[in-house]
Amino acid sequence: MAAAISDLIEQFQNEAGQAGAIVQIASVESKVTTLILNLSCEYKARHVVISGSPLANTCRLKEVLVEAGVEVIKTALSEQPPGIDDAKALTDKPKRKYLEADLGICEASVGIAETGTLVITGNEGDERLVTILPRIHITLLNADNLLATMEDAVARLKSGFPADPGHRIPRYVTYLTGRNTTGDIPGALTARAQGPEQEYVVIFSKGTGGG
Amino acid sequence: MSKAMEKKIHAALQDKRIQDAFQTWEPILKFISRAAGLGIDYEAARGKIHSVKERCIDESPQLVEQFKRVAVEAGAQIYEAKTGQDANDYILKVASDNGVKSIVKSTSSLAREIGCREALEKVGLEVTETDVGDWIIQLANEKPMHMTATSCHITIEQVTSLLSRASGEKLEAEPQCLLDATRRTLRKAFIRADMGISGANIAVAESGTIVILTNEGNECMVTTMPRLHVALVGIEKLVSTLEDATVILRLLSRANMGMKLPVYISHISGPSIADSSPTALGTTGQGPAELHIVLVDNGRSNLRQLHEFREALYCIKCGACINVCPVFRSLGGQTYGHIYQGGIGTILTAFLNDSEIASDLASLCMGCKACTAVCPAGIDIPGMITRLRAKIVTEKGLPWTKKMAYRSILGNPGRFDNAVRAASFPQRPFLDNDGMLRRLPPPFASLTNTISLPPIVFRTLHDRLKDFAKPREAKAKVAFYAGCVCNYAYPELGMDVINILGRYDAQPYFPPGQTCCGAPAFYEGVIDTAVSLAKKNIAALEVENPDYIVTVCPGCAAMLQKEYPRLLGNDLGWKQRAGKVAGKIRDFSQLVTELSPSAGKKAARNKRITYHDPCHLRRGLGIYREPRQLLEREGYEIVEMEDSDVCCGFGGKTVLEYPELSDSVLQRKLDKIIAIGVDTVVTNCTACVLQLRGGLDKRKSLIKVMHSAELMAVEGKQLTLKTGD
Repeated sequence: MAAAISDLIEQFQNEAGQAGAIVQIASVESKVTTLILNLSCEYKARHVVISGSPLANTCRLKEVLVEAGVEVIKTALSEQPPGIDDAKALTDKPKRKYLEADLGICEASVGIAETGTLVITGNEGDERLVTILPRIHITLLNADNLLATMEDAVARLKSGFPADPGHRIPRYVTYLTGRNTTGDIPGALTARAQGPEQEYVVIFSKGTGGG
Repeated sequence: MSKAMEKKIHAALQDKRIQDAFQTWEPILKFISRAAGLGIDYEAARGKIHSVKERCIDESPQLVEQFKRVAVEAGAQIYEAKTGQDANDYILKVASDNGVKSIVKSTSSLAREIGCREALEKVGLEVTETDVGDWIIQLANEKPMHMTATSCHITIEQVTSLLSRASGEKLEAEPQCLLDATRRTLRKAFIRADMGISGANIAVAESGTIVILTNEGNECMVTTMPRLHVALVGIEKLVSTLEDATVILRLLSRANMGMKLPVYISHISGPSIADSSPTALGTTGQGPAELHIVLVDNGRSNLRQLHEFREALYCIKCGACINVCPVFRSLGGQTYGHIYQGGIGTILTAFLNDSEIASDLASLCMGCKACTAVCPAGIDIPGMITRLRAKIVTEKGLPWTKKMAYRSILGNPGRFDNAVRAASFPQRPFLDNDGMLRRLPPPFASLTNTISLPPIVFRTLHDRLKDFAKPREAKAKVAFYAGCVCNYAYPELGMDVINILGRYDAQPYFPPGQTCCGAPAFYEGVIDTAVSLAKKNIAALEVENPDYIVTVCPGCAAMLQKEYPRLLGNDLGWKQRAGKVAGKIRDFSQLVTELSPSAGKKAARNKRITYHDPCHLRRGLGIYREPRQLLEREGYEIVEMEDSDVCCGFGGKTVLEYPELSDSVLQRKLDKIIAIGVDTVVTNCTACVLQLRGGLDKRKSLIKVMHSAELMAVEGKQLTLKTGD
């Protein structure tokens, strides 16, 4: 079992890396926060937005970042309602909080090893804004959710909401592979395009090497 | 053939922007083609896509109903638009109902098809294309040059000028600077937009989901930031399940860009809600408050009813076909007139947009089959082009000159033979000392501008083989079907074939009743003539019940083997007879290897040659190993040239109708032959021999072009026949 997961992690790392993402592994929760604090320092982050993430909650990521002097907004209105000012800033037209964020952090429901793909889901759309607007995007992934193939991911999505009579998939399911790119500017065939400058993936794999 | 298209061809070939762009993009397109199938069973994957599309187009009406139901349950608003105009009117209404002033748009070929942006801009709405390529051509006010690399022909200087004006900043002609300015300017557009318009690559009925593939990230903003999201979805995009969608996803980006997956695949199944349960309604999340899905017909359900052309709806808009199309490579995408490009574009334009220009577009295809060999949905594009031509001939008739040429001359073997032989007289004043024709007068002048032609012989192969009309005693009874180029221009090649097969204990005979295979009529769409010639040839070839029928022109072989059974499919008797003949067809190299399975390898000749794959032999009949094996067995060392399987440009009618286009393709082939540095190029098609020899002669090259049979015969002509030649 453990061997299978480390194979999947290795495959994911290769594929996502080739597609332009930077993948890091953490085997304890504290390492997750350390990795993100490092990125926060590296990019001189002052504003961070985090969409719904069980892993971020478990690691107390918001608290750690706030302690380091960073402004952190949790974006999911439906989960942990932020302060009234935050709610207004999140829902008003210019999406200011997302646009001025240095880091956008979300969690992938599923990872697909064969293509190095993160599957980011939600119903509010905040996770999409966190994924596309901030300067740097970081996706957290629990290795338990790292699956082998695209078909596995679809099966997981379809089974993900057992309490729902309609077994609906989430309204927004975003497959993210690598880093945004364009070939349309002459002379720059794989330049970074309109999304974040960099894509980071932090895989939390309890007990595997990488701690 | 059309004067208008001739002018367009000329303009495109003279357009430096287009020619430079495709010169630059050629290695990229080649990379994409190679990367598309890397590490996977491409044939299996595209077989699966074909099955999914076949089933889903068949079930299309039910899938539309299911999709509507599920999407509406999730709070989406569905509008079924019969026409493009209908769809645009609906969007205008949504815009006006909601006080929309500013719109951002992500890529949608459907939107281009129906002129969506133009309709919105006409009433004063600001519409900003947000895909960088789309934005550049919006600013340049041009049509796309390629389905996905839309602005590939716009130079960096032009881009700099366009972006400087659009951003209000003075920019440098430097990629990073231009990109940063693009981001800044488009971000402002995203922020002020009241509405986002997107397309959809796939729509899934079971979950009411639209699936959108992009790389830049602009689509995520278009579909999440504005309050209103309108998605334009052609009804042919519908599949049943997310598993069906995954089948398509496995090849779409590979075929489009040589990447396993694009950076973003968005699955959107309703407007945003502020709830963790997807079925909850009544709240608005941080994405759009309203999702309007416009399901557009615009001729698709009619196309679905046309059994011969329904396959066109299987297209997943990946662009793999145009990336390998030699015509597209020469002319670029704007030549195709409307929006859809290449061979599949011809069919889509004909039935969805503008049947007036269909005939012109259909005349461009050279029938090389490169497209269908890579199409992830396994669509028979060349087959549909031929059927489209036939449909046009049936509906519109033919100009009387063509009517006469095909029905009265080509369709009448005796008259045809006399007509061709008769041409051997007036050609005399134009023969050079070495017997070649290099300067024909008008109206044939443009032909000999491109290639030097062999003379038409008066004493044809048919004449020389008068004594070989019936089979003689031999191990294998082989009928020889020579084809017109061999019969009228290269009779010595025919004699070589007879001699060489004699070495393998096969005494070929020449059924005298054979006549033109009918390909010119067939590919023009004059089906009745093709049928009539099919019957004449079958009758001539079946008479002595041969074991094999050997050919030297795979164009003819493909007609005899693949098309005759189809052409005669309605008549059971003829269909059976055609099937029997089809089973006996052998290309020359195929037959030689079949007759001598245990022949040893001859001593190495220390001679390097290269081999050109004829389109009809490689892709039409699947034969590319036998010719090479035979040549290697004969002791030759084959050095593979780049693009050995790319068309020589003869294209059947193309060399006569659009000599400039034919020449454009030919020159690229000749460059590759010359680059490989051998003195002999071998091929197994008399038409390719004519084209390549003629082109190399024009370049004053000393490289020899030989059919395999000629090469094998050179090493000592055995005069086993008394031909008195």
